Amino acid sequence: MKHLTQAYRALANRHGLGAALFVAIAVTLWVVVFITLPQLSMLDYSFRFNLPADQIGTDADHYTLSNFHSFFFNADGSLNTLDLVILGRTLLAAAIVTLIDVLICYPIAYILAHGAKGVAARLMVIGLILPYWINEILRAFAFRVLFGATGVVNTVGMQMGLWDVPVDFIRADVALYFGLSYAYILLMIFPMYNAIEALDHTQVEAARDMGAPLWRVHWRVVLPIAKPGIVSGATMVFMLTAGALAAPQILGGPSNLWFTQVIYQWFNESSNWPRGSAYAVVLLLTCISFVLLMMRVFKVSVGEIGK
Amino acid sequence: MSRAVVFGGAYAIAFFSFLFGPLIIMVITAFNSSKFPRVVPWECFTTGWFAELFGNQRLMDGLLNSVIIGVGVVALAVPIGLAGALALSELPSKLRATLYTVLILPILIPGVVLGISTIVLWGQISRGLGGAVQAGIYNGYFLTIVGQITFVSAYAMLVFIARLQRFDATQTEAALDLGATPGQAFRKILLPFMAPAIGSAAFITLLASFENYNTTVFTVLSESTFTTALASKVRHGTDPSLSALAVIIITITLVGALTNEAVQRRKEAELGGKASRSPLYANPVTRALTHPGVVFAILVAIVATVSYIGSKHDSSVCEAAILQDKLDRQAELRAAQKAKIEAQETEQGITVPKPEGGFGGAFGGLGGAAPTPAAPKPEGGFGGAFGGIAPPAPSE
Amino acid sequence: MPETSPVNSPDRSVLLDHVSIRFGNFTAVDNANLKINSGEFFSFLGPSGCGKTTLLRCISGFSDPTEGRVLIGAKDMKGVGPNKRPTALIFQHLALFPLMSVADNIAFPLEVRGVSKKERRRKAEELLDMIALPGIGDKKVSELSGGQKQRVAIARALAVQPDILLLDEPLSALDLKLRQHMRTELRAIQQQVGVTFIYITHDQGEALTMSDRVAVMSKGVIEQVGAPDQIYNRPRSSFVASFVGENNALKGVVKRQSEDMAALETPMGTFEARVGGGRKYKPGDEALLFVRPEQLVPGQAENAFQATLSRQEFEGATNHVFARAGDTELRVSMVNAGLAGSVGSKGDTLSLGFAPMNATILPVGQIASEA
Repeated sequence: MKHLTQAYRALANRHGLGAALFVAIAVTLWVVVFITLPQLSMLDYSFRFNLPADQIGTDADHYTLSNFHSFFFNADGSLNTLDLVILGRTLLAAAIVTLIDVLICYPIAYILAHGAKGVAARLMVIGLILPYWINEILRAFAFRVLFGATGVVNTVGMQMGLWDVPVDFIRADVALYFGLSYAYILLMIFPMYNAIEALDHTQVEAARDMGAPLWRVHWRVVLPIAKPGIVSGATMVFMLTAGALAAPQILGGPSNLWFTQVIYQWFNESSNWPRGSAYAVVLLLTCISFVLLMMRVFKVSVGEIGK
Repeated sequence: MSRAVVFGGAYAIAFFSFLFGPLIIMVITAFNSSKFPRVVPWECFTTGWFAELFGNQRLMDGLLNSVIIGVGVVALAVPIGLAGALALSELPSKLRATLYTVLILPILIPGVVLGISTIVLWGQISRGLGGAVQAGIYNGYFLTIVGQITFVSAYAMLVFIARLQRFDATQTEAALDLGATPGQAFRKILLPFMAPAIGSAAFITLLASFENYNTTVFTVLSESTFTTALASKVRHGTDPSLSALAVIIITITLVGALTNEAVQRRKEAELGGKASRSPLYANPVTRALTHPGVVFAILVAIVATVSYIGSKHDSSVCEAAILQDKLDRQAELRAAQKAKIEAQETEQGITVPKPEGGFGGAFGGLGGAAPTPAAPKPEGGFGGAFGGIAPPAPSE
Repeated sequence: MPETSPVNSPDRSVLLDHVSIRFGNFTAVDNANLKINSGEFFSFLGPSGCGKTTLLRCISGFSDPTEGRVLIGAKDMKGVGPNKRPTALIFQHLALFPLMSVADNIAFPLEVRGVSKKERRRKAEELLDMIALPGIGDKKVSELSGGQKQRVAIARALAVQPDILLLDEPLSALDLKLRQHMRTELRAIQQQVGVTFIYITHDQGEALTMSDRVAVMSKGVIEQVGAPDQIYNRPRSSFVASFVGENNALKGVVKRQSEDMAALETPMGTFEARVGGGRKYKPGDEALLFVRPEQLVPGQAENAFQATLSRQEFEGATNHVFARAGDTELRVSMVNAGLAGSVGSKGDTLSLGFAPMNATILPVGQIASEA
């Protein structure tokens, strides 16, 4: 609190009372009303029963663990494998997508930072950004077009005689994996690029000069520099993939649900908000713990994200 | 050329094919008259999908809603983001790291969670207030603006932080020393310095608001934005009018990117002094032609001309021929299939697989092209997954 | 132009009344106590980190003293913000506003005081004439050369006729030739406008050539205040003696003292010299004898000793000769006598001596190391 008032005074001295007041009000509003209160409210809701409007506030309206209980266990006491498996599979899939993105983005980030010059580098940057002007939904749609039963991949594959019955790429989640890997490439490349760009290229040349093979140069010289960028990018890609809703809805197979879809169902189809809130709390906590764990493992702080 | 260069070049080409391949294919499908978006078989060149797109009332309503929400979000998220960046610049490092984490968190939190928490909080508040206030708060516009601000402000903040890092704090000190009040220094020195960042932050927040699906799909309630309308259209069956939309967006983007490039080049030429000015800049004719405004005007003129010519294109004759051809083939196939099924039934006594539900529906109506499903479908849509979920426990 | 009427000239003095500035446990300025006179060109000279910039920021109002008072024109400045003080600061990197034209930069102090646009323009042009850069008002700051930026910064600072102009190493970014030229120019401007100049620098050449008086600072402490020649010829501490100009330091033991002269016994012999800072020594006290390279004269009879020429550095007009006497290497400056004369070659024995009045005995203390 002392630091906050000090910062406020510093702002007032430097930028004036008006500016300081504006900053204080806007940041408080943001932190309290927009960030904290909604999460607390959702947490509170997740411990409540799904009551009709006229019973809210009556004796029936008290806290319960039932929403969380029924996430873990079925009514008969056995494990609720259905939901647990969906959550597990969502996290696993998000991790796989993140890994794929790290692998395919690293070479491009490196080429962009140290290979491409002038016009080529400029074109590459524009080329990376352009696809992301197009709506997320349309990008997913493009993969529907590509992988649908009568899509380009099937038509071409069948015409070339590689297979003769249309392969259901949607059901096999191939389209989903492609779509998700595609969706957040930009968020992976730019943190990586920023990190790698800081590397003095002569270091790479020196290592090569000393006879190190290319893979070893990357392992020993480039990767340590790129690490914060990789972790930052990976965190964003993982969180966004695990929290994705549009791509699984559009590209996901009908039998393989994404955890966000389950939440969506509880809200929009079953109208059970408390249960949906409980599931959202579960998703939030799992994702955050997973990311914190990864940051611990790779020894990177949250402050690196977004840079 | 070394092996590394060849390898790197090949990889870059493969990578960018992955980035652009799906988009290019989608663009091509916008001009194929086939009812399902595809490239082969090519039926007729048509511009009819654009008309179909503009005729979609739900999308057009959504577009208007998106604009209203977008304006609201920009108006609030940009100042909030600026305030966040300024606050971070004055805090001691430890507190700064904490606040940074808190403010950046909404970008990482799944959008679904943000959407839910927003409607839950404001739902409770509006119930508590009741009456006219309830109607004012608990509607798709207000909730979506409030929900999106939570994370969109963080995007704006990142833009401002980057700009603030390049600000020389002695500028403010100099202004104060020369007699300016802190407020004057803020308005006359810092804000003008931040102006370009305010522009780009506004742009990014507008785009983020417009594009958002995960949060909006919850907060928008019974209304719909352009993106949620789009998503529900894609989920419930696709047609190439969406490809047509992609063509429009890509065209706008390309015009924007090329104009921006012209602006950047012009800036460089002007900053670089006479020696580095290209021959294009030296020659008055080419200089006028490469002026950003002229470049933009030329691009717009090209797009307008192509659109006009396209709107005159009539593919009905070709389409009628294709339709007739299809009907013929369908009749043939139906006859063949009937014969096959009869043969199967007599052999094994199995019933015909059920027609597809859910996603399959998109393919179902296409007649001859529809594949025979490889496996029996569940009852349709996502319903299957919920079969095992017990109804919510009643209160005791 | 600020009108400087001699009859009714304002009080442009600055009084530092026992000023100390601390950041936590670190003392940046320790009990600075001095008066800068109205219309004076005053310099703070010291190595980087000695606290001179902190002191300057305190005078201009960006920070408050932890202890003591700052008085400008006999008025206590406590609680008066930088924008309310009659001071103007020229920043080390000038802090010109890149988004404004040159004229707008110069007129900025008038703009924030609500002066009309027309009047601002007139005033800006007047000031541009003064700094001999007429007609550049519409240029961008980025189009100016280093020297031009310097002058624009001065014009901007003078636009509101401050009583005190504070300059924070403003010449450090310029190349040598321009720096020397700007010294003359700064001094000329100061005499023209009659404003008190407080100049911060680590460059003793700048401090000595421009200033009326100089304060030498080290580690937050003001070691000595005086006219340039006093600082150079009559150092009061070993730090001042070693920081300002070149000096040879000989360590020894005081044998006797009479008034302001004393005899010091060193490994090279016993030498007579002036006692610096009016101090009293008892026989047997340790002390340092400082003698400047140009005061060591070949063939001088007083304080004579023998040394061996070990190396030479030729620098045109001056020949820097290094002579070894016992364990001590002495620096001797000799005027280049041209082809007619010679200082000798390596290994030669030199007979050197110095006048007792031209050497100073000071207590053992901090020696400024060459940066």
